[in-house]
Amino acid sequence: MTKAIFYKEWLKLRWYFLLAFIVSNGMVAYCMLRIDRAIELKGAAHIWEVMVLKNVTFIDLLQYVPLITGIIAALVQFIPEMQRKCLKLTLHLPCSQQKMTVAMLATGVTVLFGCYLANLLIAVSYLPGVLPYELTRNILSAAAPWYLSGFAGYLFTAWICLEPTWKRRILNAAVAAITLRVYFLGVVPQSYNDFLPYLLVYTILLTTLSFISIRRFKAGRQD
Amino acid sequence: MNTILECKHLTHYYGKRKIYEDLSFEVPQGRILGLLGKNGTGKTTTINILSGYLEPREGECLIFGENIRTMPSHMRRRIGLLLEGHVQYHFMNIVQIEKFYSSFYPGQWKKEAYYELMNKLKVAPGQIIARMSNGQRSQVALGLILAQDPDLLVLDDFSLGLDPGYRRLFSDYLRDYAQAENKTVFLTSHIIQDMERLIDDCIIMDYGRILTQKPVKELLSSLYQYTCQVPEGYEPQLPDSFYHPSVIRGTLETCSFLPPAEAEEALKKHGVPYRSLSFGHVNLEDAFIGLTGKY
Repeated sequence: MTKAIFYKEWLKLRWYFLLAFIVSNGMVAYCMLRIDRAIELKGAAHIWEVMVLKNVTFIDLLQYVPLITGIIAALVQFIPEMQRKCLKLTLHLPCSQQKMTVAMLATGVTVLFGCYLANLLIAVSYLPGVLPYELTRNILSAAAPWYLSGFAGYLFTAWICLEPTWKRRILNAAVAAITLRVYFLGVVPQSYNDFLPYLLVYTILLTTLSFISIRRFKAGRQD
Repeated sequence: MNTILECKHLTHYYGKRKIYEDLSFEVPQGRILGLLGKNGTGKTTTINILSGYLEPREGECLIFGENIRTMPSHMRRRIGLLLEGHVQYHFMNIVQIEKFYSSFYPGQWKKEAYYELMNKLKVAPGQIIARMSNGQRSQVALGLILAQDPDLLVLDDFSLGLDPGYRRLFSDYLRDYAQAENKTVFLTSHIIQDMERLIDDCIIMDYGRILTQKPVKELLSSLYQYTCQVPEGYEPQLPDSFYHPSVIRGTLETCSFLPPAEAEEALKKHGVPYRSLSFGHVNLEDAFIGLTGKY
């Protein structure tokens, strides 16, 4: 049954996954190209110096890409469920509703993880060749909260989409917008280092929000 | 006869607006029961409550003896649900949707029942449901329910958006299936002519209450429509046993469960200045309008 849920979610997400995969990897590749050109024009030593002294990472273009990818993934996945209350069909299936919700979210998270992993692979296959270990680590640590924001954006949007009333959706969207600021507080490399484990736990906990929406949907809330 | 569906003392409000209070009814096994009511009388509310998507303010709804809100998930395989407008996963095609649903009903899924119906549709296997006509979508939704082979079918406004041909096809197919397999069906529809061909029993709802619940044959044989002439300008003041009397151009029209002799006696007793009283039986649509009124 879980396999069938994955199948349904994959049917919704597959074209979007392809698009997100191409666009996000294209942007990562473009950032790597920028580093490459800067090194070619100014020399590696100068670029390393700038990166150390001015905290430049050359990947600032990527800052909101994971967040946008996550938000659109949730919209693609959950808007069809809420159109004409299609979610009723899903929740009527003879399968635990908790299990079903987890499977739906897990599909979206897996798709995003696939995109983000490919982004990471491009970066780690190129950066160590032109930058020392510390600078590569700086770039990756700067990007880590942005990528976590992608999962958070996905989970927040799922929470908003699955909510049965517009009034609450607007309230949830406002809460999400404010809370997502946590992922973009500092752009200085390694500024999130100590906080990252907590941010990871916090992001995982956001999974519970969708259960609140499903529960409200099941109770037919109209407030 | 076993009771398959039982709603007990349902009360529901939307905000401060009362939908109904203390509503109770039951559906025995093997019967097709239609819920009839004007817009806003609570038909969809009732369907939502008994399919577990609305928590009533008071009361409970039992299906197979289990409260629908706490029913174990495996028991839902015995309930087929058709949502208003034949809603289905519109991003799937007919092959994908069958593959998806069949995983949830191992041992009971009747693939051939689904494809028997699908073969009558002129759709390519790869055509997604979103690009189908309302009629074709209704057949997909019906085919999936028949393949699920549930003991109870809950159908919300099954005729919505269908042309007469598809409505007839849907109701005939459903009736044959329910009779042959001894299935229980609970349904609503706005088109009452279709209900008359399909249902065994009916519940007619008025605002906040049930007006009548009885087998259709019994309803139609016991309800009389009365017509008589009254003086111009006469304001009808009839006893409660006459439903929604209306006077148009000196002709009074009403209906009642009172047989003709008793009805005439009641009219005389109330001093109604009538003449040329005629009466007759009516079809389900006229019975519905007679009992609930035109307005």
